[in-house]
Amino acid sequence: MSKEIVLIILFMTVVTYGARVIPFILFRNISLGGFWKSFITLVPVALLAALVIPELIISPENSIRLLNPFLVAGICTFIFARRVSNLFYSILFGMIVFWGFDKII
Amino acid sequence: MIAKGFSYGLQKSISIGIGYAPVALTFGILSLQNGLTVWEAGLMSLFVFAGAAQFIAIQLIGQGATIWIIGLTTLVVNIRHILMSFSMIRFFSGISLGRLSLLAQGLTDESFVLNSKLLEDIRTPEERSRVALGVNVGAFLSWVIFTFVGAWLGNQMNITFSGFNFALLALFIVLTVGIVNRSNVFTYLFAGILAIILKMLIPGKVYLLLSVAIAATVGALIEYYRESKENLEIKHE
Repeated sequence: MSKEIVLIILFMTVVTYGARVIPFILFRNISLGGFWKSFITLVPVALLAALVIPELIISPENSIRLLNPFLVAGICTFIFARRVSNLFYSILFGMIVFWGFDKII
Repeated sequence: MIAKGFSYGLQKSISIGIGYAPVALTFGILSLQNGLTVWEAGLMSLFVFAGAAQFIAIQLIGQGATIWIIGLTTLVVNIRHILMSFSMIRFFSGISLGRLSLLAQGLTDESFVLNSKLLEDIRTPEERSRVALGVNVGAFLSWVIFTFVGAWLGNQMNITFSGFNFALLALFIVLTVGIVNRSNVFTYLFAGILAIILKMLIPGKVYLLLSVAIAATVGALIEYYRESKENLEIKHE
């Protein structure tokens, strides 16, 4: 195992675990209401949008491209997952559709 | 009613565990293609346990990026865990710091989304922490084990399949189906549009944190304003 990779893993672990645990330590005895309650329940929703939507329509050259395998496979996966509520099948379906359209487009 | 505990969470984690399998296999295979060894790939999953950041990291390692670039990129990509962790505290009031720090390692986008739904229906913080631990352990085991399997496979043969590029996104899209509804679709779309604009304007991954923070703030302000208006109307009646 190379020393550099070990250091990289260590660095990644520290920043990731830090982000996971710090709010638990700082805010563990605080109960939230009103605005903050709405805010924290909306975080997962906003997060999924930010993780997915840009990847589907921005090309590696940093421009918007609608006809690309990511968007097509993304829409197909979404429709499939709505009908078949099975995580494994839906992911497999998405990967295969992507592979297919990647060959065509 | 029988108390729900660790095994209930573990059982519920099966959906994530199975969903992680193709993604972790992909990670393992791609790790080898980017010059990592089987152990390095497995240890990264064991310690870091954060899909998106790991995929980005092995790409950067393959490109020969410095440890500082990789560390900082990981920080930017994973700082969103602060928001998720902050959002989870409401379930665990009074739980010991020791157990909380154990729960923290299992916090991922997927376990967070599942726990957020699951824990709403469970009454005590004690039960919630046990269920969440079950969910996290199940997801964690699947991620680590299938990384090793993928890395081992990648070591045996050269596998090329463009569908690998879509594994992580497919996982996120399936999660979207379960969580977006009429009451929060505005925040979802707003965050998406913001993320597109910010990603094109700002290099790197800062757009993730910015768009989530702004969209959730705006969405929450609208909800808060609506609720206080309704309360006023009730008072007037």
